[in-house]
Amino acid sequence: MAASAARGAMALRTNIGRPVAFVRKIPWTAASTSELREHFAQFGHVRKCTVLFSDKETGFHKGMGWIHFSSEEELHNALQQENHVIDGVKLHVQPQKPKALQGDQTSDEEKDF
Amino acid sequence: MAALLRPACWLLRAAAAPYLPLSLRLLAGGPGRPHAALCLRAARARPAAGGLLSQARLRSIAAEKKNYLQEEPASSHRRNASQFDWALMRLDNSVRRTGRIPKTLLQKVFDNTCHSGSPGGNQALLLLRSCGSLLPELKLSERTEFAHKIWDELQKLGTVYDVSHYNALLKVYLQNEHKFSPTDFLAKMEKGNIQPNRVTYQRLIAAYCNMGDIEGASTILGFMKTKDLPVTEAVFSALVTGHARSGDMENAENILTVMKEAGIEPGPDTYLALLNAYAEKGDIDHVKQTLEKVEKSDLYLMDRDLLQIILSFSKAGYPQYVPEILEKITYERRYIPDIMNLILLLVTEKLEDTALQILLACPISREGSLNDFGSFFLRHCVTMNTPAEKLKDYCTKLKEAQLHMSPVQFTLQCALVTQKFDLAKVLMKALKEEGFPIRTHYFWPLLVGHQKEKNVQGIVEVLKGMHEIGVTPDQETYVNYVFPSFDSIKSVRAILQENGCPHDDNVFSQAELRSKAVNGNLDYILSFLESNTLPFSFASLRGSLILGFRRSMNINLWSKITELLYKDGRYCQEPPGPTEAVGYFLYNLIDSMSDSEVQAKEERLRQYFHQLKEMNIKIPENIYRGIRNLLDSYHVPELIKDVNILVEREKTDSRKTSQPSLSDLESKLEKLKAENQPIRDILKQLILMLCSEENMQKALELKAKYESDMVVGGYAALINLCCRHDNAEDALNLKREFDRLDSSAVLDTGKYVRLVKVLGKHGKLQDAINILKEMKEKDVLIKDATVLSFFHILNGAALRGETETVKQLHEAIVTLGLAKPSTTLSSPLVTLYLEKDDLPAALESAINCYEKYKILPRIHDVLCKLIEKGETELIQKAMDFVSQEQGEMTMLYDLFFAFLQTGNYKEAKKIIETPGIRARPTRLQWFCDRCIANNQVETLEKLVELTQKLFECDRDQLYYSLLKLYKVNGDWQKADAVWNKMQEENIIPREKTLRLLAEILRNNNQEVPFDVPELWYEEEKDSPTSLPSPVEVNLQKELLNACHRRRNKDAFNIFLTAKKQNIVFDNEAYARLINLLLMKDNSTQAMQVKDFAETHIKGFTLNDAANSLLIITQVRRDYLKDALTTLKTALDLDQIPSRLAVTRLIQACALKGDIESIHDIQKLVNGLEDSIGLSRMVFINNIALAQIKNNNIDVAIESIENMLTSENQTVDPQYFGLAYLFRKVIEGQLESALEKISIMAERLANQFAVYKPVTDLFLQLVDSGKVDDARALLQRCGAIAEQIPIFLVFCVRNSQRSGKAPVMKSLLELIPELIDKEEAYTCLMKSYVFDNDVASAKALYESLTAKNVKLNDLCLKRYAVLLKNAGESVPFTEPPESFEFYAKQLKESKETHL
Repeated sequence: MAASAARGAMALRTNIGRPVAFVRKIPWTAASTSELREHFAQFGHVRKCTVLFSDKETGFHKGMGWIHFSSEEELHNALQQENHVIDGVKLHVQPQKPKALQGDQTSDEEKDF
Repeated sequence: MAALLRPACWLLRAAAAPYLPLSLRLLAGGPGRPHAALCLRAARARPAAGGLLSQARLRSIAAEKKNYLQEEPASSHRRNASQFDWALMRLDNSVRRTGRIPKTLLQKVFDNTCHSGSPGGNQALLLLRSCGSLLPELKLSERTEFAHKIWDELQKLGTVYDVSHYNALLKVYLQNEHKFSPTDFLAKMEKGNIQPNRVTYQRLIAAYCNMGDIEGASTILGFMKTKDLPVTEAVFSALVTGHARSGDMENAENILTVMKEAGIEPGPDTYLALLNAYAEKGDIDHVKQTLEKVEKSDLYLMDRDLLQIILSFSKAGYPQYVPEILEKITYERRYIPDIMNLILLLVTEKLEDTALQILLACPISREGSLNDFGSFFLRHCVTMNTPAEKLKDYCTKLKEAQLHMSPVQFTLQCALVTQKFDLAKVLMKALKEEGFPIRTHYFWPLLVGHQKEKNVQGIVEVLKGMHEIGVTPDQETYVNYVFPSFDSIKSVRAILQENGCPHDDNVFSQAELRSKAVNGNLDYILSFLESNTLPFSFASLRGSLILGFRRSMNINLWSKITELLYKDGRYCQEPPGPTEAVGYFLYNLIDSMSDSEVQAKEERLRQYFHQLKEMNIKIPENIYRGIRNLLDSYHVPELIKDVNILVEREKTDSRKTSQPSLSDLESKLEKLKAENQPIRDILKQLILMLCSEENMQKALELKAKYESDMVVGGYAALINLCCRHDNAEDALNLKREFDRLDSSAVLDTGKYVRLVKVLGKHGKLQDAINILKEMKEKDVLIKDATVLSFFHILNGAALRGETETVKQLHEAIVTLGLAKPSTTLSSPLVTLYLEKDDLPAALESAINCYEKYKILPRIHDVLCKLIEKGETELIQKAMDFVSQEQGEMTMLYDLFFAFLQTGNYKEAKKIIETPGIRARPTRLQWFCDRCIANNQVETLEKLVELTQKLFECDRDQLYYSLLKLYKVNGDWQKADAVWNKMQEENIIPREKTLRLLAEILRNNNQEVPFDVPELWYEEEKDSPTSLPSPVEVNLQKELLNACHRRRNKDAFNIFLTAKKQNIVFDNEAYARLINLLLMKDNSTQAMQVKDFAETHIKGFTLNDAANSLLIITQVRRDYLKDALTTLKTALDLDQIPSRLAVTRLIQACALKGDIESIHDIQKLVNGLEDSIGLSRMVFINNIALAQIKNNNIDVAIESIENMLTSENQTVDPQYFGLAYLFRKVIEGQLESALEKISIMAERLANQFAVYKPVTDLFLQLVDSGKVDDARALLQRCGAIAEQIPIFLVFCVRNSQRSGKAPVMKSLLELIPELIDKEEAYTCLMKSYVFDNDVASAKALYESLTAKNVKLNDLCLKRYAVLLKNAGESVPFTEPPESFEFYAKQLKESKETHL
């Protein structure tokens, strides 16, 4: 477990070849985790869900986030669906490009352990 | 408010159609200066460059702005131009998308413009123009305030205002209903020494009229009359308003009659003024009557006109009439921004109910769409403090109308952004009632707002509000948004209690803990963890704890906390257990730090790890490996051993000619013939000579005489000669003989084309077609020029009326596929009938072309003729056809242009006023260019006039075309009138337009009434008061021409001539001349030019490239001191000299043993090495070489050895290339040095395992032919053979030069295993091909095939071409594609393998 956790942390740094969906246009009403997680859980096991959050200058999040699935298949399921709507707002969902994750983000990981 | 939104929207939309930047770029250079345009383009390609340059650098660039070369960075002028583009683009995008400009955007553009230094006149105009009705979200007074702020600020920054700016300000006043005194305004202009013009007076009249002051208006009108200024429709429209506002509707109506008497037909603007006047009185009956009247007339009111009537009704307090006008609105898509604008304006004016009414009337497609419409309205209502209950009601209505999916949420967001807590509360309650959850983070923006002001009471209010709505603050809320505003967390608790703010104690204390951790208060953490009784996991604290650790330097606390977490049952009891949890924590701790942080805290971390060890804390090995990798990547491997001690199991593995005359030839021919010797060659020579002398008669006789000895070349020349002489008969016969001689022989394309022409002309159609067929069969090269020739053949035939010839040849050319049936190529098919005045046939032919080839040649000319002849039916037929095939818009444009061309302006006007028609820039430009080319002044003027209201029409571009035509005719009066018209239309001219206008005025000795934007390469700049005389211009042109052709002698002579006549060229000319002279190694002359330029042009300096060239030349001539001075000068000017120049200078110094100079250079370029592209080894190699030259061999060797063996190496040993040094030592036959160096290299290899130097030495020995020495070295130091990567680099480099095959061969003999490497054998093959060494190449190929090596296509291609060139057969199929193809293929395949 710890080994996989360590690898997970490594993956967070590089994030190459991981089944991650990049979500944009998240409505401001959706909080960082619960709503997104709930929505994407229908496609598979959401390992982790982060929202580029809290611009502490404004108190609003930036409307972007990453959904980490357990498998490519689940990610594929999510990408197959045409409309993703949360709180009446259509999200933009696309596969995450293999690029390092950066930026200040809060993670729901802390609550999950 | 005469014309509310229209001109503004228009202008901006028109001014920057998407193609604008490109056209600006291309045309900025002006005709005849293509290279200038090129430079500009190159400079634009790097927009970031300007931003990165330091101020000092900018200044120095500005000083030498004309002294440019292509690679020079952006000058301030270009910056200004691009600044304008940028500003225009930003504002235009906004207007295009939304019909308005947000205040923040305008502010941003304004700030940016101010920062840019000295804003240009048109930038100022752009900003001022934006302060009127384009700011519907601002109160009228605020807009005017903004305009004044811009005006004053830019004036301070040195912007020069001309009458156009004053007129723009006036327009803003009118749009903003700003009350001002026209007399004061005139006084202000007078003080600024600006002459008012027609537009000024017009607007002042409008100002008086808006106040209902007919007397004031009359005074100005009288003034205009004395000045003989024309009274336009705009003036009459203003008077309508004026009378109406003074309460005299009767006279307002009468103005229309007065107009008609004055010969001006009332247009839409006048009627609109009247309609507004009635609307302001609430007189719906008269409004309706007037509208009916307009409908019956030829006039047409657009949606935005109707919108204005709505505004007038609403503002005057008659919203009940709005629906009646709304019914008449067409809701064309292009007017949606105008509608939005009106809605916002109404909200600003507190008429939000009417605004909603209009919004709901918008026919936005609603079904199934997730796009919301109306957000702009809601947001603005929030900004304007519309009552909450009203807003709630609006939201309900928008949702019911399915315009907006989540209006309440959106409005709430707006309320939160603007910190409107009361409104937010009402909206949240509304949401809750509708069953939506209210989430904690909804309150964060509010808390942020109070936090910024440290407003404790405000925060308490929000927390109370949360409770009221039933939301409990979570940890994050406390940590991020509540605590920071308080002095201490204790006081938070106290104040919350005091204010009766309930809180969850558990959440609160965890939040407190996190907060303390984040602030590095580890004492607190420790005591909390010790005394804590609540259950909570280590993981939830991890992130904060890491931050806390990093903020605290107290390692003892680090350890104690870690120990507690590790050992205390409360924290790490869940499955993975303490070992894993702490291990993971350590990993995360280090991972969260940057490499520099870890480096800085190395000692502390070491201490921490050792303390953990003492506490007997263990971590799993796999996590240790992760940490090890991290430390490695942070370049702190020293810490690895310290972490290693924590690993659970002790098992670690830490490693790793002169021509004869005609008669000579003739006699020679006869002599040979008499001697019965072969005469073919001489016969051919003779025929060619006769052909070049155009002696067809004699050539044909000669051919007849020696027919059996004729060769292909002779026939070809003869055929061509006959074609030139229009001798179809003989040409055809010769062609037949030619074919009999060699049926596979091919003529040049040009000769075929000439044959077709002559044969066609002489009615030998079938023969001509046969030639065309042959061209196809023999795959003759068809160039653009060939296609043009085909057109000329066809067009010639068409003009001669040879119907069959045109048709058949065209058919053959097209069906054979020799040329595509373009409009041009097919136009003779129509020309044929146009010339015969057979219009039905012409039209038929054009339509026929369309059906066959989808082109419509000469349709404009056909239409013009049809109109001239009044062929109504045919026109109808043509239009139906175009409309059906190419769309209605194309048809309308065709018709519009045809009417314009034939002078039927009224009809043209009707066409262009068709609702829904929009600007087609390319078509408009086509017609403009046509007018300019044919000098059709009136037609072009009409075009410009009639397109005034055309949607999305680039007015500036049209006026620019008009000015171009005026320039051709030298008509400055009309040009001046254009300037007035542009102001009237509120157009912001682009710089090129202003420059053109200024040029026309100056050429005609007129004063230029505005500030001319400077051009960075402008010639006039050097002598702003006097234009250069034609002699000067011509000389300069000649000079530039000579430079372009690299004729240095001519160019220098022109310089001398000019100098004698005391003519001074511009910077650019001198810079180019100097560059050319330097390139031709003529530094003396270059210096002469430089001296002259420096004494005659203030601030003349050489640019980067010139200085670099100068250095190279000086080095070559051995003027090293001068070269060093030049380098200093260049660097002082913040220039970046070329790598070549600096390297050459360093090398030259080294060869002289001048160490001091090398050190000087090193200091000079310090910090610029990367910019110049200098290798670090340059200095190392050359300093060593200089030392050796000074007989300090030991010093040189010692310092190199030190560099390679010391702890802190500046250069990775792998890249420590000493090849240059070795080569120079070998070349210089410095035997003793070579010996010592060799010893050093071997020592480095044997003792320090540094193999690069010895390998380099080995290769240099091979390279200089000292194969035996190389072999000996290899025997002494066998490790050399393993340095394959170095060898491969050597091979690749050498294969790019010719004559290196022997070197490569020797290398492969010494290191035979190298041949197995693909890079090596391909390079070797390349070298053999380079040196044309067929034998070696063959041997190589055979040995490789024997080994079953599969050669790549590029290599095979090279080999095949070598063999072919040598006339040998190729033993395999030659790869068919080009070298480039295979090179690319190879490169790509390598990339994918990476």
